Amino acid sequence: MRLVAASVSTESPLVVALLAVLVVVELGLLAWALIDLARRPADRVAGGSRLVWLLLCLFVQLIGPALYLVIGRVRAAPTVAPTGQAVGGGHVARAAAALYDAAGSPARGPDGGAPAGSAAGEGGAPAVELSGVCKVFRTAAALDGLSLSVPEGSVFGFLGPNGAGKTTTLRILAGLARPTSGAARVLGHDVTEAGGDVRAVIGFLPDVPAFYKWMTAPQYLRFAGSLFGLRGDVLEARVAALLDLAGLTEVGTRIGGFSRGMKQRLGVAQALVNAPRLLLLDEPTSALDPIGRREVLDMVAALRGRTTVFFSTHILADVERVCDTVAIIDHGRVAAHAPIDELRLRRGGLSRLAVEVDEPQRLAAALEGAAWLRAIEVAEDGGLRLATDDLETAQRELPALVARLGLALRRLESDELSLEDVFVDLVEGERR
Amino acid sequence: MRGFGAFLGKELRETVHTWRIWVLPAFILFAALSSPLITFLMPTLVDRLGGMQQGFAISVPDPTAAAAYIEYLGNLGELVMFALVIAYGGIVSAEVRSGTAALALAKPLSRGAFVLAKWLSQLLVIAVAAVAGTALCIALTAALLGVGPASEAVVAVALWFVYAIVILSAMVLLSAVLSAPAAAAGAGIGVYASFAVLAQFEATSRLTPAGLMPAAQAVLNGGPAQWQAPVATGIALSAACLAAAVWRFSRREI
Repeated sequence: MRLVAASVSTESPLVVALLAVLVVVELGLLAWALIDLARRPADRVAGGSRLVWLLLCLFVQLIGPALYLVIGRVRAAPTVAPTGQAVGGGHVARAAAALYDAAGSPARGPDGGAPAGSAAGEGGAPAVELSGVCKVFRTAAALDGLSLSVPEGSVFGFLGPNGAGKTTTLRILAGLARPTSGAARVLGHDVTEAGGDVRAVIGFLPDVPAFYKWMTAPQYLRFAGSLFGLRGDVLEARVAALLDLAGLTEVGTRIGGFSRGMKQRLGVAQALVNAPRLLLLDEPTSALDPIGRREVLDMVAALRGRTTVFFSTHILADVERVCDTVAIIDHGRVAAHAPIDELRLRRGGLSRLAVEVDEPQRLAAALEGAAWLRAIEVAEDGGLRLATDDLETAQRELPALVARLGLALRRLESDELSLEDVFVDLVEGERR
Repeated sequence: MRGFGAFLGKELRETVHTWRIWVLPAFILFAALSSPLITFLMPTLVDRLGGMQQGFAISVPDPTAAAAYIEYLGNLGELVMFALVIAYGGIVSAEVRSGTAALALAKPLSRGAFVLAKWLSQLLVIAVAAVAGTALCIALTAALLGVGPASEAVVAVALWFVYAIVILSAMVLLSAVLSAPAAAAGAGIGVYASFAVLAQFEATSRLTPAGLMPAAQAVLNGGPAQWQAPVATGIALSAACLAAAVWRFSRREI
């Protein structure tokens, strides 16, 4: 509370006025003393030396600034106030959902079109549509004909290794960069032509959000809301709800003293200030601890159907947890784009089986030539890993074969392909 | 100009909350206090200096209020203008480099509003500091040396203010074009030096913004001052710089 009070008091007009008066008084006293010293005969100056008094006047003026510059400046501490951890459970998700419910309808489209939560963008357009987007920096191509479509209301995972072009894509969608060629459309409108109209309906969180360090979290959210034209009670209610969502309600320190996790949560909050129809999140969980990460993922999941979330990350577990559809990009191109389950199925093509018997070498020899078998390998634990394009036949014939060989079957289970398998397979396949 | 008011409010609050409030006002106030004081004390200082060396004498005219104002104007034209160029090297680019511009410009804030709000906020800072500094200078001068040509001093500072607008606008353009604040400041010093050179020639001094400071000095000296054309071309050049800055920044990637 003391820190909060201190933070508020230094911003009050009274304190600013007092400081201004002090400055004027100090400069006035200095001027008065110097004038008096210049006019007064030396024999009427104590000690008889005007120079000594002159040096004293000037030296005293130096002490305060010198002390401040040498020992008074403290580097931004990671946490100098309550860290503002949001309460656990579904609090954040409920707060995010309540934000949209309280807003009535999310930000209107460029032409005041349909509210978010409707099935599609203007004219049934996808929330995001990229057509052959290329972005060249000098000689290096960050994006190389990127094309994808994101339906409105979905939670879309945008995956790729470092340097694949994820951040460049998000910067183009946020209107911060222009494609060298190709078209980028948000809710049916070209981002390079619609400009501020498109930006009015999106929320953007960059990978490393940078804030004005002198502001507090409420001040920043008020500033962000005012850029969207929010005013008065509506703005104050929105700010209060977002502070609650970010777990920063009790934090009165300036943003310069925030930890990285606090900044990330404030970044999520500012991206939601306009209840956007499209939320662009660039690696939103990268700086968060496990609790903070879970809360952001819960929040993203809670927004499904209320808005479209375009979620860039390289953390595969996050995507598997909250996304409906995923695009994997590498070297600026889409390597795969499909619902997660379909991607696993399509990319795998093959199902996997883990088998453990008492004599794996005999079983492996007996399996050679089986029509349903595509690959076999002996795992480190001594078990067999089989790949098949006909899981049903494999699951029927394999136990029968084990019985014929007189082996003891200890384990037989389907080993589902993970998104990580797909990701690594696709990315390494592209590089080969 | 979407978001202009909100961003201007942020800029003004930022000016109060950060070091920016102290730089130019501090230089202007320093000039306002030191000019009359130095003018007033100069004969005493020279007398003491001369008294220290046998056979060495310097003749100094009696200090006058006009001399104090000329000293003040000289400080504004050199010391303060140099500080302005250095302080505003990153007026536009600093936010791009720090990343704060990305969050603001991803919202419906136009690039033009971003640039012009920065320009206007700093213009207001300079204007307030110039008014306060000039009032202080006149008051101190009156206390030490009498009021003197105070109205001429106000006119001269007004001409200096137009010159400050030109330099500030040039810095906004340079900072929109060049990513590095040091590079913009270096180019700004080049602009300042160019004006100083152009002021030496009669034609360019009469017709271009380079003539603003000579006109201000002429006003203080009581001579004929040709300020109309320098003011008109100064305002036109400022507008051109701002238009170019907005155009360039609108095409810049953040």
